[in-house]
Parts: sequence; structure tokens; C-alpha cells
Amino acid sequence: MTKLLQWLLGVSLLGIIWAVIAFDLLELSVPGTYREVAWSMPLYLLVSFGCYSLATVGYRVATFNDCDEAARELQEQIKEAKEDLRKKGLKI
Amino acid sequence: MKTKTNFFFFFLVLFSLLLFSYYTVWVIVLPFVDSDHLLHRYFLPREYSVILPGIAAVVLLLCIGQTFTVVVVWKNRKPKKVD
Repeated sequence: MTKLLQWLLGVSLLGIIWAVIAFDLLELSVPGTYREVAWSMPLYLLVSFGCYSLATVGYRVATFNDCDEAARELQEQIKEAKEDLRKKGLKI
Repeated sequence: MKTKTNFFFFFLVLFSLLLFSYYTVWVIVLPFVDSDHLLHRYFLPREYSVILPGIAAVVLLLCIGQTFTVVVVWKNRKPKKVD
């Protein structure tokens, strides 16, 4: 079974469980507050995933250290490449 | 300049943590708290917990679409080609 099928299966299973609890499809008489919380679960997971990605991106960018050596090396390589192309006739 | 950008991104991390905790309490903790508890005064009615993320998503999509459109229009500017 491909990954896509696995993911679809997992998502549909979770979706069915959510629908049964949130909309009381099987008459399980789950208490009212639990049903309310279950109903807002997809939106809550979406918002928390957004917060998690924001936090991860922010943290990684904030703790990224400068690499001076690599920057210098890169500048030299750019100079070399420009000269090389100029020799071969490309106007920069 | 690096320390300034650092502060901004740490603030972003803190902001997202705050947002997450507020939203968690709002959606999950609050329904189990009695309606005459003082905690309810700090939170909006629960309908807004659906409307506000919806508005934020729409605004985000608009911003992305706007940036995309502006970039495309700028790249295609050819002032010397007038028929």
C-alpha cells in the first residue's frame, strides 16, 4: 500500500471517529461538554499546528549562527565565477 | 542588526506560545469550568474561537495572494513596448 493510501486511510479513520463523537451518529450519549470539545478538535489541531510551525521557524532563525568563513568563501567563489564568465564573453 | 532580528524572532516564538496557550484554555479547558468562575471574564464567547481563526486565515491568504500578484506585475513591466 502506498504512503498516500496509508495517509488517506488514517485521516478517514480519524474523521469517522470525530464525526461519530461530535455529531452523536451512534447515539453513544457522550456528555455535552465532551461533544463540544470534540467538535472543535480539527480547528484546534490546525491552529496549534500553525503555532508550532511559527515557533519552530522563529526559533531556528533566531538561533542560526553567522558563518563568517563560509560567507567569505562564497564571495570569493562568486568573484571567480564572474571573471570566468567574463572571459568567456558573457556580460555581467 | 543581528541582535535586533534575534529579538524579533524570539518575540515571535513567545507570541506563538502565548497564542497556543490562550487558544488551548479557550477551546479545551473553558467548557469544563463552571459558568460563574472568574476565569470566563478573560475570554470572549466561544463563537469567536471559530470566527477569529477564520478571519486570520482569510487575511493571510489575501496577503500571500497580494504579494504574489505584485511580484508578477512588477516582473512583467515593459515600459518601452508601446503599441
